[in-house]
Amino acid sequence: MAKLSIRSVSKSYGAVRVLDDVSVEVEEGSFVVLLGPSGCGKSTLLHAVAGLNPIDSGTVIIGDRNVTNLPARDRDVAMVFQSYALYPTMSVAENIAFPLKMRGLDRQTSQEKVAAVARLLQIEPLLERRPRELSGGQRQRVAIGRALVRDPRLFLFDEPLSNLDAALRTELRAEIKRLHQSIRRTMVYVTHDQTEALTLADKIVVLKAGKIEQIGTPLSLYDDPDNAFVAGFIGSPRMNFLKARVAEDGKAVLVGDTRVDVSHLSTRLVDGQEVTLGIRPEHLDEKQGVELTLAVDVTERLGSTSYVHGALPGGETVVAERREDQPRFGETITLRFLPGRTRLFDTQGLRLR
Amino acid sequence: MTTTASDPTRHFFQPIIVCLTVASVALTLFVIWISLHDLSLMRAGREKFVGLDNYLRFFGDPRAMAALWRTVLFTALATVIEIALGLAVVLFLDRDFAMKRLVRTLLLVPIIMTPVVVGLTWRFLFDPATGMANYLLSLAGLSQIDWLGSPRIALFSVLIADIWQWTPFVILLVMAALESAPTDPLNAARVDGAREWQVTWYVLLPMLRRALAIVALIRAIDSIKAFDLFYIMTRGGPALSTETLNYYGYIVAFTNFDISYALAIAVILTIFTNVALLTMYSVLFPKAGER
Ligand SMILES: Nc1ncnc2c1ncn2[C@@H]1O[C@H](COP(=O)(O)OP(=O)(O)OP(=O)(O)O)[C@@H](O)[C@H]1O
Ligand SMILES: [Mg+2]
Repeated sequence: MAKLSIRSVSKSYGAVRVLDDVSVEVEEGSFVVLLGPSGCGKSTLLHAVAGLNPIDSGTVIIGDRNVTNLPARDRDVAMVFQSYALYPTMSVAENIAFPLKMRGLDRQTSQEKVAAVARLLQIEPLLERRPRELSGGQRQRVAIGRALVRDPRLFLFDEPLSNLDAALRTELRAEIKRLHQSIRRTMVYVTHDQTEALTLADKIVVLKAGKIEQIGTPLSLYDDPDNAFVAGFIGSPRMNFLKARVAEDGKAVLVGDTRVDVSHLSTRLVDGQEVTLGIRPEHLDEKQGVELTLAVDVTERLGSTSYVHGALPGGETVVAERREDQPRFGETITLRFLPGRTRLFDTQGLRLR
Repeated sequence: MTTTASDPTRHFFQPIIVCLTVASVALTLFVIWISLHDLSLMRAGREKFVGLDNYLRFFGDPRAMAALWRTVLFTALATVIEIALGLAVVLFLDRDFAMKRLVRTLLLVPIIMTPVVVGLTWRFLFDPATGMANYLLSLAGLSQIDWLGSPRIALFSVLIADIWQWTPFVILLVMAALESAPTDPLNAARVDGAREWQVTWYVLLPMLRRALAIVALIRAIDSIKAFDLFYIMTRGGPALSTETLNYYGYIVAFTNFDISYALAIAVILTIFTNVALLTMYSVLFPKAGER
């Protein structure tokens, strides 16, 4: 068990700065999820922690050991690669047993461990096959197995469930959660999946273009985002952003003609200032509150609930959750929300609190 | 997928295949037919059917057996050394190093050079009186070697020239295989606790296995058929010490004009080559439980 400190890590590929002064503290035994759009540097950060490609500056500390200049072999981490990185010439069983073999474990114990992991991941019938005889999801499970078979100080998962079907994904997500709760190892986990991030994480790190946008618990990122990027990235469907203008001596903003009270904010707003009002789809289905009229385009029915896509009179598109009814194309409906649920951002996207 | 029967392009390739098949089968049969006679240009028009006499003669001919053994030795040494050396060079050169393009271009030079030039160059280098090889030995304070004049050494001198010419070929092919091999498994092995030699031994080499096997096959086939370097550098001498089976066949045909026997030797060499290569192939590419 060990904590992980990433301090001011930077890394460039040529002129492109892929990691820009990234600092993350991961407490002992906690579960951290890295979130961010494709190409923002998540894999690069994991590789840096694992010691696979050298960083330009900064420090990586695992436990109380500075491992910045240590080779990967001596860092005692287990990693699931985004590309799976299975050994193409070895069977599934040999793949999973490889880290044990490298640590000089005897054959008997090693076989028992491989069997246990294979049972957990439901790949027992595949043990004698070679990676190229497996489907994407099966390969992914072998890759997970190769990490779980060890007992490292730190686990790194790079989108480990991305290729699995929904049922298996839910099951393995729960399995990883259970594993984490039972062995309490520090885990760093990359995903694009909101549900995975929100259910697994003690802490979420949001990255964008190599920079950290915000670090916090899932709830604090959802409720209290620092900027429009985080607000839009956390939550699905994403938050609606509406153009608004400050009025009434900073006490309210106008979205078109609709007045939204913002007197609870402590920031001094100037009349006429352009701002962005953010409101989540799930907060647009209240019984009372500020009203907006929406011309319905499409309704997505998800069973328990529906999402309505439409346009405001000003032309801005909005997505709203609808729990009671399912309006059709062409109808006009009224959305209601509580002003306290809105989040205000300035023109740079920074949060106005 | 179109089957061959319905594929209209068959009108283009099938006639060619038929021609090639007819030509090679006819030639082979003709060769075998002649090898069963005692056709000699010295006694034109007086040949008669002798059955397997030429083949029996081969196995009782010490000069032929020695040549066969020399061919085996030369092929085995050339293939093994070229593969080992080429692989070592590739592994020791970094994946990406400065001037890689330049090095790659330079590696092409020996391959492109005609064997005549290579052979002559090495003959000059190995010249006992004026050659560079002995000059370097003298600089190092070592005694002189009669590179091409000593029956014990000459075969290895030709081997050196062959290695010089063909190791770059191995390097180029293995380098290409290495570049197209995925790097993530190597990284995974490092994370899994493997030392660099273990990464190479357990992960990288098995991934390069196919490429190495194919290069080895190509080199083995070429070495068995090697003729030009021997012709230029030693002409089979001194005292027949560099006479390979291929070269002996040439001598029998064009010095002794004993055509039937020469063709019997050629047939034996062909059979021997095929058996050896098929064995090698099945070892390198096992069918069932393919690795
Ligand atoms: N070897 C490399 N050479 C040059 N640029 C690279 C290299 N590896 C990654 N990059 C660049 O670094 C950036 C970050 O890549 P990275 O793989 O970390 O993204 P990611 O966040 O993992 O994305 P994804 O979610 O798609 O996996 C990308 O813009 C990528 O193009
Ligand atoms: Mg990635």
